Amino acid sequence: MEFNNNIPIYIQVMEKIKQDIVMGKLAAGDKVPSSRDFSNELGINFNTVARVYKEMEMEEILFTKRGLGTFITEEPERINNLRYEMAKKQIETFIKGMQQIGYSKEEMIKLIELEDNYREGIE
Amino acid sequence: MLKLIKYEFIKKYKSAIIALIASAVLNLFLFTKGVAGSSIFLVFFPMVMAVVYISDIIKMYSDDLNKRSGYMLFMTPNSGYEIIVSKLITAVIEGLSILLIYFIYVLINGAYIIYISGAEINFNEIIITVDKLVSGSFGFNLAHVFMFLLTALLFLISFITTVYTAMTIRKSIFSEIKFGGFLSFLIFIVLNWAISYVSSEVYNLLTPYYNSFSMSRPTATELVYIMMPINIWSIAQSIILTFFSGYLLENKINL
Amino acid sequence: MDLLKIENLNKKYYNKIALKNINLSLEQGKIYGLLGPNGSGKTTLMKVIAGLHNQTSGNVILNHQALSYKTKADISYMPTENFLYESFKVKDAVKFYTDMYSDFQEANAYKILKEINVDTEFKISKLSSGLVGKLKIALALSRNVDLYMLDEPLNGVDVLSRDVIMDLITRSYSETKTFIISTHLVSEIEKILDSVIFLKDGNVELSGDAEELRLSRELSIEGIYKEVFKNA
Repeated sequence: MEFNNNIPIYIQVMEKIKQDIVMGKLAAGDKVPSSRDFSNELGINFNTVARVYKEMEMEEILFTKRGLGTFITEEPERINNLRYEMAKKQIETFIKGMQQIGYSKEEMIKLIELEDNYREGIE
Repeated sequence: MLKLIKYEFIKKYKSAIIALIASAVLNLFLFTKGVAGSSIFLVFFPMVMAVVYISDIIKMYSDDLNKRSGYMLFMTPNSGYEIIVSKLITAVIEGLSILLIYFIYVLINGAYIIYISGAEINFNEIIITVDKLVSGSFGFNLAHVFMFLLTALLFLISFITTVYTAMTIRKSIFSEIKFGGFLSFLIFIVLNWAISYVSSEVYNLLTPYYNSFSMSRPTATELVYIMMPINIWSIAQSIILTFFSGYLLENKINL
Repeated sequence: MDLLKIENLNKKYYNKIALKNINLSLEQGKIYGLLGPNGSGKTTLMKVIAGLHNQTSGNVILNHQALSYKTKADISYMPTENFLYESFKVKDAVKFYTDMYSDFQEANAYKILKEINVDTEFKISKLSSGLVGKLKIALALSRNVDLYMLDEPLNGVDVLSRDVIMDLITRSYSETKTFIISTHLVSEIEKILDSVIFLKDGNVELSGDAEELRLSRELSIEGIYKEVFKNA
């Protein structure tokens, strides 16, 4: 994975894991690599990965089984939440961008419907 | 410390073998020139080897102080005292080895000279000569020889310690100053001057002590006493300078 | 737990001041980046800690022990230069480390050397600078000590060897080991650093947790480096 050094690395790794969960690359209950293996794989600092896991455990996205390792949450609700948060983020960026080029809320909705119909037409 | 000495020899064994083979080949070549050739070898071998030896023992320490490869030695968890003492022991062993090799050459070439000059080797005569030497019939015996060798050895050690101390001073107190080699030499001169000044004062005080011996034909026991002040001085000088160098290596070094 | 404590460290040479009043505490289990341009004092600081240079004043405490030849047993220092004895073969250098350091893991060294394609029968003087760089790091990392100091491990090393070296460093990390890595090639190394120490003209200009600095300054460590040394 490529990193943008301007943003804290642990945040980038957290985003990546969340994305993988939402996109289904990582499934509920899957075991994630140990901090050691994961840091070697990513070529980053061990403590950074340890921090990622700690933060994500606090967010209840990951949990640790003593002596077995770290796993992805088995509660569908947490994963749905993640998905929802990501969608929200996408929409926020979208709205911000549209506002900058002068679109109102109504115009945005209209445009989305129009674009959607057009795409369905193609298909 | 044994390991340090071991690596000193590992570093120089190849050049030593080359030097040994070269000298043997040269000696064999000079054999073809008859008695004169063999004698010349015996005369020049110690002179050349003295120069080679002194430059080698200087290089052995100076490389570690001045070249990057010295980091390898100074990174190891050995104290400065161990490092300097291991260098000294290596230098002494090297000196004794050269002496031993020379002794072997003397025997070989001596036998060869006797052989080509047509004289027969008379083992009886050799045994008688050795016997005379041991019994002291020549006016001196093996004890005298041993005493002279010991004095020479102690002098050699004190000489090497002085050289090494000069180099250590230059690399600690005067580090970062240019013309390092020349500076080391200057320090060596000053150090020697100071030492000989102090020692001559001491020897002057000892004049009455010396006057109590007959200097022309001393017995072995007398020789021990005559040499004692010099030897004690060499030992003291070596110990003090070794400690001083070790202290500098331990506390003031800038490699 | 503090592994290394540096208090009021000064290093003066006959005609120049190399380190000015350095105060630092280094924790166990962290990777520190010692950053600064050439001549900023990085190498001098490492050499003082390694015992190759002695400080003019101040204290350096490693594991509650003042520096001496004894602390050298707890430090694996890799100088930036090719310091290995030239007429040695690679295997002689490994033997030397095995003989001199009781903590040296000979089998591990051979394993790494095989992995990174360094022929142990080769003479060190015949190795390319990339291979020397890899050999030095293999030797330094095969020791098992508390503190590793790597001086410019990527200097004079080709791009592919750089990846190998970075990989070896991250893989040899463990929670009981502390690393100090000096470099002026910040962008290549910053993602493995926990903390950074910026040295400027022998002073600690800035130090702190790498992620916190990225967060608070919204810049990469390299970006901060460029800001700090703008006028240097």
